[in-house]
Amino acid sequence: MLSIKNLQVDIEGKNILQGLDLDVGAGQVHAIMGPNGSGKSTLSHALAGRDGYEVTGGEMLFDGHDLLALDPEQRAHLGIFLGMQYPVELPGVNNMVFMRESLNAIRRARGEEELDAVAFMQRVRDKARLVDLDEKLLKRSVNAGFSGGEKKRNEILQMAMLEPKLAILDETDSGLDIDALRIIAAGVNALRSPERSIILITHYQRLLDYIEPDYVHVIVGGRIVRSGDKELALELEKKGYGWIEEEAAA
Amino acid sequence: MDPNRVRPTQDSVDELIRSGYAHGFVTEIDSDTVPPGLSEDTIRLISQKKNEPAWMLEWRLKAYRHWLTLEEPAWAHVHHPAIDYQAISYYSAPRKKGDGPNSLDEVDPQLLDAYNKLGIPLEEQKALAGVAVDAVFDSVSVATTFRKNLAEAGVIFCAMSEAVREHPELVRKYLGSVVPHTDNYFACLNSAVFTDGTFVYIPRGVTCPMELSTYFRINEAGTGQFERTLIVAEDNSHVSYLEGCTAPMRDENQLHAAVVELVAMEDAKIKYSTVQNWYPGDEQGRGGIYNFVTKRGDCRGDRSHISWTQVETGSAITWKYPSCILRGNDSVGEFYSVAVTRGQQQADTGTKMIHLGRNTRSTIVSKGISAGNGQNTYRGLVRMAQRAENARNHSQCDSLLIGDQCGAHTFPYIEVRNPTAKVEHEATTSKIGEDQLFYCRQRGLSEENAVSMIVNGFCKEVFNQLPMEFAVEAQKLLNITLEGAVG
Amino acid sequence: MTTADTRPSWFEQLIMLSGPDSPGQSPAWLDNARAQARKTLAELPVPNRKQENWRYSAVEGLLKNSFHPTAGYVPDPQALDPESLLLPSFETYRLVFANGHYVPQLSSSERLPAGVTLGNLRTALGSDSKWIAGWFGQAAGHTEHLFTALNTALANDGALLHVDENIEVDRPIEMIYLNPGQDDASLIQPRNLVVLEAGARATLVERFIGSGKARYFNNNLTEIGLREGATLAHYRVQDESRNAWHLSSLYLSQAQQSRYRGTTLAFGGAWARTEYNAHFRHEGAECVLNGLYTAGDRQLTDFHLDVQHSVPACISRERFKGILYGKGRAVFDGRILVDRQAQHTDAHLTNDNLMLTRDAEVDTKPQLEIYADDVKCSHGTTVGQLDPEQVFYLRSRGIAASAAHRMLCLGFANEIIDSIELQPLRDYAIHRLAITLNEAVARG
Ligand SMILES: Nc1ncnc2c1ncn2[C@@H]1O[C@H](COP(=O)(O)OP(=O)(O)OP(=O)(O)O)[C@@H](O)[C@H]1O
Ligand SMILES: [Mg+2]
Repeated sequence: MLSIKNLQVDIEGKNILQGLDLDVGAGQVHAIMGPNGSGKSTLSHALAGRDGYEVTGGEMLFDGHDLLALDPEQRAHLGIFLGMQYPVELPGVNNMVFMRESLNAIRRARGEEELDAVAFMQRVRDKARLVDLDEKLLKRSVNAGFSGGEKKRNEILQMAMLEPKLAILDETDSGLDIDALRIIAAGVNALRSPERSIILITHYQRLLDYIEPDYVHVIVGGRIVRSGDKELALELEKKGYGWIEEEAAA
Repeated sequence: MDPNRVRPTQDSVDELIRSGYAHGFVTEIDSDTVPPGLSEDTIRLISQKKNEPAWMLEWRLKAYRHWLTLEEPAWAHVHHPAIDYQAISYYSAPRKKGDGPNSLDEVDPQLLDAYNKLGIPLEEQKALAGVAVDAVFDSVSVATTFRKNLAEAGVIFCAMSEAVREHPELVRKYLGSVVPHTDNYFACLNSAVFTDGTFVYIPRGVTCPMELSTYFRINEAGTGQFERTLIVAEDNSHVSYLEGCTAPMRDENQLHAAVVELVAMEDAKIKYSTVQNWYPGDEQGRGGIYNFVTKRGDCRGDRSHISWTQVETGSAITWKYPSCILRGNDSVGEFYSVAVTRGQQQADTGTKMIHLGRNTRSTIVSKGISAGNGQNTYRGLVRMAQRAENARNHSQCDSLLIGDQCGAHTFPYIEVRNPTAKVEHEATTSKIGEDQLFYCRQRGLSEENAVSMIVNGFCKEVFNQLPMEFAVEAQKLLNITLEGAVG
Repeated sequence: MTTADTRPSWFEQLIMLSGPDSPGQSPAWLDNARAQARKTLAELPVPNRKQENWRYSAVEGLLKNSFHPTAGYVPDPQALDPESLLLPSFETYRLVFANGHYVPQLSSSERLPAGVTLGNLRTALGSDSKWIAGWFGQAAGHTEHLFTALNTALANDGALLHVDENIEVDRPIEMIYLNPGQDDASLIQPRNLVVLEAGARATLVERFIGSGKARYFNNNLTEIGLREGATLAHYRVQDESRNAWHLSSLYLSQAQQSRYRGTTLAFGGAWARTEYNAHFRHEGAECVLNGLYTAGDRQLTDFHLDVQHSVPACISRERFKGILYGKGRAVFDGRILVDRQAQHTDAHLTNDNLMLTRDAEVDTKPQLEIYADDVKCSHGTTVGQLDPEQVFYLRSRGIAASAAHRMLCLGFANEIIDSIELQPLRDYAIHRLAITLNEAVARG
């Protein structure tokens, strides 16, 4: 489904991703771990097509499409969803209106019917219940003044609404209380299906207790230096990154 | 970024920019327009055409003689070639059959059609919206709907020229009492030559049963529009008034120098909303309306409340400062503004909040959006007089820049003479956040949609102040105005 | 217009009174500058309230008074009470001027590090004046500001500081401008020049001291040039006599990556105005202006800040706080202009005013004029009194109302005072402010 080959990404002239390879098959869950500043969020932004993340080499194919040729919204139309580490605030933009615009833009792009107001409302309600998001937040501006955890729940709500083919969740578990972690994991698991893939960026094993990954990768210095199954995450939890970094340097 | 990325071509952007103005049609109606020029004779002619009483003519002449002693102000942050006041025609009226319409049926069908094109179907509004509409076409008021329903409530809602004849005692008492002819150059000119406008009187204790509304349109070439609006709300009365404006596309500049006076007595509340979409001129800055307007509300009574909301998207140049004189104790003044400039448009707008009474409160929310070569200036004055015990003001002025050829300027003046008064002013200027744009696009919105969504969010606080139908219209207008401004 | 008649006479009178008063050896470039400035004096319109720059600060009072240049004055160092001038435990290199005249006996510039020139203009003109010519009048110009022209037209002495490349001056440099009070109605016009070459670092403290009830006009002007990567911390303490007029004009010229940090404390004067002109013409420079001002009965304190960004990526910050009491008046005008090319400008200004009494007045006018889009600019201003709830809170803890007021005022001023990095000066500022607050609270 997603194939990344030798990806090189610069930010402000500084080389951050230095030849990254990753293959994600349909229905798989990949966890990506790695020390702070190793390039995890850079990867997620590059996948979503953010300006300023300059791809200087390599390729990214998604369902046969060359992502590099596409604008962020076109990638979203293909079904790529990025749950951000720091979700952006949109003052004055109503959360519900935003989600409806987003959902319908994607549906339109795919040649599907737009959802009418009633169907949309029904869907929002259902999904909001799923991630246990206070309905009051739906009436407020997107993420504006939301607490850290509320923002993350709102991201998951949007993911649930949009039912993406590839969800990249960048530290969605950071800043969540224990109950929220479970709820969000349930939300993600509900989305798991043979057609959907998930990339989970996280620092903590506890998320992986709830969402069992098929693969675990470690990024160090802008490269995947080790891949394994869920046991790798357990090992990291015990030993930290030092040994991998040393191995990578050797 | 990758050069293969799909981007709108410059051509398609240009086309969008040009798509601009939807109200630029000219209506072919037989009209009665006096030749250009300004003199005492012109004024006598206007007065005579309107069958005015002698006192009104005297009032005009006095203003005219004073105007001759004044110089055009130069302090605003706008630039335009000198206006030739002798080249303007000061009176233009659709030629009427007989004495003027008694009902909508008698109004020239072409005219009604023109209003329909503007999206103000008078007939329909009569039936549906419950909005009473007074329409000023060029200089004269052509139709006032809903007269009967309003009359039952005791509300007077009529053309100013009619009020001069039918309610002289009220007009004499209040006209010029908020904006005297000596106030400024354009208000003085208006006092001399105003041709029509709207008069509203809400008696004591009455809540006006419907929104009142006036649509202004400049149609004839070479004319100026000088309407005069006066709203008086007696003790404990309430009224919400809306005005909208359009003009056809013409290469020449046309002058619109209106005066609006509001008087709110004890516990009265006046809400005045404007959606201004005069023709802004073309991309090169040819043509367009000079919108030089004096608007002022006088909170005369205790606990009175005047609220101005404006959405300014049109005009080549806008020069207006809807203001509040907070005379009554505990009175409240509000100013909510969205001003958009693009192309070669210039806006110098803002408000004055003059706090005289105790516990007076004012709120200023100004959202400026500049695109293209537009120049947008907020200019405001907050004055806390010595008697203004415990007065409060809060001002928030934010500017958004779209493109690197435009400008956004913020000039607040704050004068405090009372230590118990409290003034807070904040202003910010920036472009649309890259992170916000990316977030929206990540969720599938096109760049254009993302911009419009973020800009609408930016203006939300102001749109929230508008009555529902107007808010929707304002939002649409904003979207149309910004179309193609991004690229 | 009546002012049109008085203007030439007021300025011309000063020029006439000064006669051919020129510094002993006057190089041609200086004569030219002076001549040009005299022309400007004749041409520029007199300041009046209709001019935006003078809208709130009546200058008529100043123009009604006659002043005379102090050419003949010879300072008597003994009579100047040198001890009282100095701040405790403040080790500095020092220049002292009395009535605008350099007093070498009170100055101390021994053991200056190599590469540092510190002295007065008049003396320097006699010897090595070449480097001065390259800077003099460059930032200030001669044609735009009337009082700048006045200073230039009669320029004959002032402070000079020059620091060579990459030199870091080990102690603060102090410049004291004293009006000893025996000479009423004098016109004092220090003309200062401060230049830091590339990578140089220095701290400069200017102090204006007026004693007693002396009535004079101090029309001082300082040009500051910072070359690439130079850093200047500049403190100014204005404590003129309560009958004095004071106008400080500062002109900054900053090269790439240079940093200027200016802190002004304004306590004195009957009519005191500080004008800061910072015009960024080189990328990556930074200018931070802080200020604290107080004004009581018959005092007007006025700040005019004009910060222009004409190139990308410069940073400006302005924070000004004022405390008004009695019939004190404050005027604040802070303009940030960002030209079209000046993308990535980061400019923020705040002005907060505390009014302690009924008759105090504040007029404040921040301005943003922005022609570039990729910028972060803001300004904020507040006017108000002490928060009654805070006062109540302190009183409920047993603190007397007057002490509570003082405490809260100090708290208000703290942000500025805390930014003073020289301990003796910070102590002085607190001490000086406490005196004012005692007066204010007693008066209030
Ligand atoms: N705008 C920028 N300018 C310069 N460097 C940047 C910029 N954005 C990111 N970087 C650098 O790129 C590197 C990778 O950052 P990234 O955000 O991808 O790390 P991360 O692996 O997600 O870390 P974390 O676990 O802390 O979220 C870091 O060194 C970061 O400082
Ligand atoms: Mg990260």
